[in-house]
Amino acid sequence: MIPKKGMIKVSDTFERIVHWCLAISCIVLMLSGLGMMFHSFNFLAIPVGGLKNLKLVHNFTGLIFIPSLFFAILVWWKEAAIFDVPDDIEWIKCAGGYLWHVENPPETGKYNPGQKAFFIAVAVFGIIMIISGLIMWFPLEFSASTVRVMFFLHALGFFVIFPFFFIHLYLGTIGVPGSFPAIMTGYVTRAWCEKQCPKWLREMEENGTLEVFGEEKPAAEHH
Amino acid sequence: MNKNELVKLIDTTKCTACRGCQVACKQWNEMPGLKTRNWGSYQNPPELGWNTWTLVRFQEYVDSKGILKWLFRKEGCMHCTDAACVKVCPSNALYRTEFGTIGLHASLCIGCKECITACPFDVPKYNPHTDTILKCDLCYDRLKGGELPACVKSCPTGALSIGKKEVMIENAYTRAKELGGDANVYGDTFVGGTHVLYVLGEKPEVYENLPARPAVPLTIVAWKDWFKPLSLIAAGGVLIGSFFHYITHGPKDTGGNSDQTCKGGGE
Repeated sequence: MIPKKGMIKVSDTFERIVHWCLAISCIVLMLSGLGMMFHSFNFLAIPVGGLKNLKLVHNFTGLIFIPSLFFAILVWWKEAAIFDVPDDIEWIKCAGGYLWHVENPPETGKYNPGQKAFFIAVAVFGIIMIISGLIMWFPLEFSASTVRVMFFLHALGFFVIFPFFFIHLYLGTIGVPGSFPAIMTGYVTRAWCEKQCPKWLREMEENGTLEVFGEEKPAAEHH
Repeated sequence: MNKNELVKLIDTTKCTACRGCQVACKQWNEMPGLKTRNWGSYQNPPELGWNTWTLVRFQEYVDSKGILKWLFRKEGCMHCTDAACVKVCPSNALYRTEFGTIGLHASLCIGCKECITACPFDVPKYNPHTDTILKCDLCYDRLKGGELPACVKSCPTGALSIGKKEVMIENAYTRAKELGGDANVYGDTFVGGTHVLYVLGEKPEVYENLPARPAVPLTIVAWKDWFKPLSLIAAGGVLIGSFFHYITHGPKDTGGNSDQTCKGGGE
């Protein structure tokens, strides 16, 4: 997956590191959480030698998840948490052409409203998962009625995050071909960019900040 | 109904607070006595603990007629039919026995303390030395061997008895009727019916640390009975949905495969 000449840079090194720290900790948390939540998934504890270890894996992976989410919010909130009215509303009305045939779906910036919804869900429920999770880790320090609410919120968080996560996984790989390199090498094709983030592409070109592989970096981006 | 179901009846009106049950429990279960502080009550240890699975609570109570009463109540696991602790236990360490009581495989316990939070009676206690919870199992080993639980065996006044569920419920109501006044039966009408029943001399509200209307907490029901299946439906739904999306709607056309586009861009 080596970038080729003419490909466009859509994510920098720090973004990709944050993405994968968040993604991997999230996957480990979901698998270990499932292993404890459902008796039928108890077998997920076998590789780590039992549920007691799975609990430790879950709790300490949570500690990796906390800074990952913090930096994710810091890095992406400007591009992924603010809706672009009215274009984004139009996009939502036709589901961006993802569910039924739409001749010309509204143009989007760096992230489309679906991705923004995913980001907001992860940010909000991620924070809820962190707070409820930490309280559940030390339940004896809090009143039982408080901890009971945390259990409920933790389950609600999984209910919300998992579907978003899986749709993100699907659309980031086979669902939208050409997307995966965006988070691996950071470079995508120009054709992909024109389809997926035309407004962002135009804006970058107008500002002269677009980084193209094989071409000299724009002055502003020199490191 | 399970024919083996057993119920322990605690007739608080017959209890003299000798605490023989407390000692017998510790002895049979080989639980240590830990140092406690005198806090001005015979109630010692002051609360249930990982090493104290049953405890006689001492309470001074002035009734409506101005009469001072000394109330004794043996506290411990109520062995609920609809047990919140079993509902939340992730490892099956807490389980229902053939007697309808709640047993504990301490070796399976992962120390998550979810049962401590869920229990409406505040019974399971955490042992930090072993990182497990501990609680009364109504002497499951003794019951299996056809013996009485240690507490019942030790009781000199007949305040404690155990037997078939229907018989014990009947005995409890007969006794409450015999006592008259505020005397009542506590346990058979909530959380699916407990396997420990009280005959209380006073209204349940009078007793310290005894919920008048115990129930599996709503948040626990919402968590385990609603959101567990809902999250499976949601998770399964997107897995199946994504597959059908791929084979019907198909992947998005983002300008052919990257190689061709790149060649174009590079040349």
